[in-house]
Amino acid sequence: MMPNKLKKIKIKHYINYVVIGIMTAVFAIITLTGGRLDSSLLYLLEKIAISIILAVSLSLVVGFLGELSLGHAGFMCVGAYLGGKVSALLADVLGTGFINLLISIVAGAAVAAICGIIIGIPALRLRGDYLAIVTLAFGEIVKSIFQNTSSESFGGALGLSTPRYDKKWLFIYAFLIVLLTLAVVQNFIRSKHGRAVTAIRDNEIAARATGINVTKYKLLTFTLSATFAGIAGVLYSFSNYTVQSVKFGYNYSIEILVMVVLGGMGSINGSILVAALITFLNTKLATILTGDLAVLQNLIYAVILIGIVIYNNAPALKNFRNTYNFNALMKKLFKREDDPSRVGDDTAKWDVVPTKIEMNEVLSIDLVPQDMQDLTGKGGDK
Amino acid sequence: MELILSTLINGLSLGGIYAMIALGYTMVYGIAKMLNFAHGDIIMVGGYVIYVFMATKNPLLAVAMAVIFCVCLGILIEKVAYKPLRGASPLAVLITAIGVSYLLQSLAQIIFGSANKMVTVYDFGSISFLGVTVQVSALVTLACTIVVMIALTLFVKCTRVGRAMIAVSEDKGAAQLMGINVNGIITITFAIGSALAALAGLFYLLKAPTISSTLGAMPGIKAFTAAVIGGIGSIPGAMLGGILLGMVECISYKITAIAPYTDAIEFSILIIILLVRPTGFLGKKRREKV
Amino acid sequence: MKNTMKRILALMAAMLMVATCFASCGGPVNYAENNTEYVIGFSGPLTGPAAMYGEAVKNSAQMAVDEINAAGGLNGVNFKLVAMDDTHDATKVAALYSELLEGGMQVSLGTVTTGPALEFKNLSFEDNVFFLTPSASGDDVPVNENGYQMCFADGNQGKVAAEFVNANFKGQTIGAFYKSDEAYSKGIFDQFKENLDSSVTVVETNFTEANTKDFSTQIDTLKDCKFIFMPTYYDPASLFMTQAKDIIAADAVYYGCDGFDGIDNIEGFDITTIPQKVTMLSHFNSKATDGVAAEFIAKYTDKFGKATLNQFGASAYDCVYTIYEAMKEAIDEGKEIPVTISASDLCDILKEQFEGGFSVENKVTGDKITWEKTGYVNKGAIQYVIKDFNN
Repeated sequence: MMPNKLKKIKIKHYINYVVIGIMTAVFAIITLTGGRLDSSLLYLLEKIAISIILAVSLSLVVGFLGELSLGHAGFMCVGAYLGGKVSALLADVLGTGFINLLISIVAGAAVAAICGIIIGIPALRLRGDYLAIVTLAFGEIVKSIFQNTSSESFGGALGLSTPRYDKKWLFIYAFLIVLLTLAVVQNFIRSKHGRAVTAIRDNEIAARATGINVTKYKLLTFTLSATFAGIAGVLYSFSNYTVQSVKFGYNYSIEILVMVVLGGMGSINGSILVAALITFLNTKLATILTGDLAVLQNLIYAVILIGIVIYNNAPALKNFRNTYNFNALMKKLFKREDDPSRVGDDTAKWDVVPTKIEMNEVLSIDLVPQDMQDLTGKGGDK
Repeated sequence: MELILSTLINGLSLGGIYAMIALGYTMVYGIAKMLNFAHGDIIMVGGYVIYVFMATKNPLLAVAMAVIFCVCLGILIEKVAYKPLRGASPLAVLITAIGVSYLLQSLAQIIFGSANKMVTVYDFGSISFLGVTVQVSALVTLACTIVVMIALTLFVKCTRVGRAMIAVSEDKGAAQLMGINVNGIITITFAIGSALAALAGLFYLLKAPTISSTLGAMPGIKAFTAAVIGGIGSIPGAMLGGILLGMVECISYKITAIAPYTDAIEFSILIIILLVRPTGFLGKKRREKV
Repeated sequence: MKNTMKRILALMAAMLMVATCFASCGGPVNYAENNTEYVIGFSGPLTGPAAMYGEAVKNSAQMAVDEINAAGGLNGVNFKLVAMDDTHDATKVAALYSELLEGGMQVSLGTVTTGPALEFKNLSFEDNVFFLTPSASGDDVPVNENGYQMCFADGNQGKVAAEFVNANFKGQTIGAFYKSDEAYSKGIFDQFKENLDSSVTVVETNFTEANTKDFSTQIDTLKDCKFIFMPTYYDPASLFMTQAKDIIAADAVYYGCDGFDGIDNIEGFDITTIPQKVTMLSHFNSKATDGVAAEFIAKYTDKFGKATLNQFGASAYDCVYTIYEAMKEAIDEGKEIPVTISASDLCDILKEQFEGGFSVENKVTGDKITWEKTGYVNKGAIQYVIKDFNN
């Protein structure tokens, strides 16, 4: 029984690698064996990969460290400009191959990491909304600085011209980097360091009292998060012909934050899923609603956003949520018997304990297994 | 001298607008403990209502209608979008506020179209003063902001409802136990905040008589910055932060070499101030209890 | 355990199926093979702060397409316009462009604004898709052989303005007011400064997108200038003028570029109340009383009102007609343009036309319009005065 259970937990842990890996492999095989995918699909895949990296890295800070960051796009901006510049300089010597990609990513990630440390320092002193506004300010400062660079250095108002990578290869690279991000982030949060970070989130004073080095872990988390945002930025520069700083305003940071919050705080898989869905939704809305209908895009997006957040979080809708949710729907569809071994299997879910930011409600519907809710008496009436 | 004086006056009048918006932010934050990202867009709605009612050529009526409409809208938004989430995580409320902001912007574009519109509410003219030409509307804005600030302070300190607000902001649960209608108080707060936003819309139009659906977004962010500099939740703090931000912006635009970096400078000042005083100038320090 | 494996296998199978749906066999594909109309596509800001420019282009291009169709189309084949919303965000362009192309677009109007155009020009070059942009005036926009401009390039405008200043204001001080974070405004201003005589002193002021549109500091700095160069769009310019009405000397001159177009049509803004003289460099006279321009203005105002009447629209209107005439000429010369022609084939035909000295006459934005090999446009720049208080 015991080894079997261990194996099960492992598969659960690695299911996202498997899914993303298979998907990438399938698409890669098609493009590389001479099959042809529409460019719209390839562009969408690139964007989804970038969104996933951004959402997963932001979820480190928001979901696991429990601090609100509104400047994630700023780190991405730094990565995009620096990585793009390096790749443009190297393109003459190396061309736009894997080596160039590697060097640019290291460069972009390094500079973004330094910015992460810089922003991590105020994070040691500030909390909650004060920190949020500092991160927002950081994003706007970065944007403003790149906007006013000379045209020789970073292009200024016109933006930096960067080499675009071959779309047949770029999405494969992008998803490989997604896998790398997942490997680093998931191993981090499942390590003792990750437990320390969640401890700080749940009660900083208690964590300090047990001897956790709060300063170190806060800086570490911010740096790690910034590094991957920087990498996403470098990928962004590869997938575009120009890097224009206008893109990296607070609106973009908020878009990433929405992915993390809707995905369920502290749920990596949720972030991945929602990042992919929102990117897909945004692209599809923009391409379906053309001409006179374009004004409806934001309207639809806003209504969906408000609707989902209220459905997911409103205390009054709790019973409704427990009856009509994804799990219940799945159960109904497949008439699956409750597997008693699932009860109490919270080792796999240890990282989704309710966060400090939310006091009495778990954010996402699928975080606490149905059966656990029944055990604690909060669940439905069965 | 003349240069200093004119920059001072420009800074004060711009700061007055920021302060007006920041007052609304700070009220809502202080009591409901939420960042109301849609606050800037209520300014925009106020502007459009003034535009619609300026067809009657009666500025007072237009302003009155704007205030009434914004108050109703504020209450409606609170009831529909925020109230169901009371007790849920503040992040969820933040995301809803962003959703409401998008919603208002796209509705405005659908109703009024994409072209910017110019509205001259009332031309106060300008006066010369020590060799500096000053728009009278700038002085009106500043005066009104000060009056509103004083009135708000008095309201919060001296009336039953105001004291109930302080109680709610300190501890919702305890306030409820003391017989205070917490939901009612929060609704009143939103109503006041929206009325302030409508007034901010008016002053904005007096200064820059143009409206578009995205009018409120950036002033909203800047005013939020101002509120944080002053210490979010503090009424005089919002005033102080607003004026400071307005001054910095005007001085920075005055110096050609750093003018393009104005936004960066404003936000850098915010970061520096917060590093020195983590709760802003007049913000209350809260001791964390174990 | 078994269950999980099964689920993974099922997932794999499902993904393979989905993927094969997307895939088709190799080689270039003609997405237009099912077209029943010629499809013209473009992307522009239809929402967001720059929406009025995109809307003007959308309205005017649609108007031109409707007119052409009403007159029988091109040898009986109608045109169809597809407009997508890029919200002035270059990142969105790749998705929109590929969607346009896969939706059967054969020829394009590029993008409305410069930022997205810098992305568009390269994407369309990869696939060899012809575009003639009405208003993306960046210097780099038409550099590839598949791209052409209907508006004047920014650098060109800056140069012309500088020459004007050099001729009239030698040794004097002039003012400048531009938006430092906008490709259009900054582009023109940089070229202007570069070409300026060293004896002319410029008092520079600028603003950014984040500005609350309070220009009192800038106005204060410029208040002694008799000539103010304003390479901005009409929207901030009109605001500047309103706020500066009493402060800047009444005999001062505002000198704008083609972005000024439409300044006399802003709802609620009466340019006759501005005491200063407003002049601009433009290819479209929104006050035209005769000729094609007047006809266009009448038709546009009738359909969409005056609020979005500006050079963006006028230029887009001309673009559609130019593409129509170029295709017509090619057919008259014996080339075949079936309705299902691929974008790349049509691009080759149109490139040949444009490189071979193709010209259009009697258009809204110019009496005779030709193109250089580089893609820049040649037409008489009309510098006209919107309002001359001194006369």
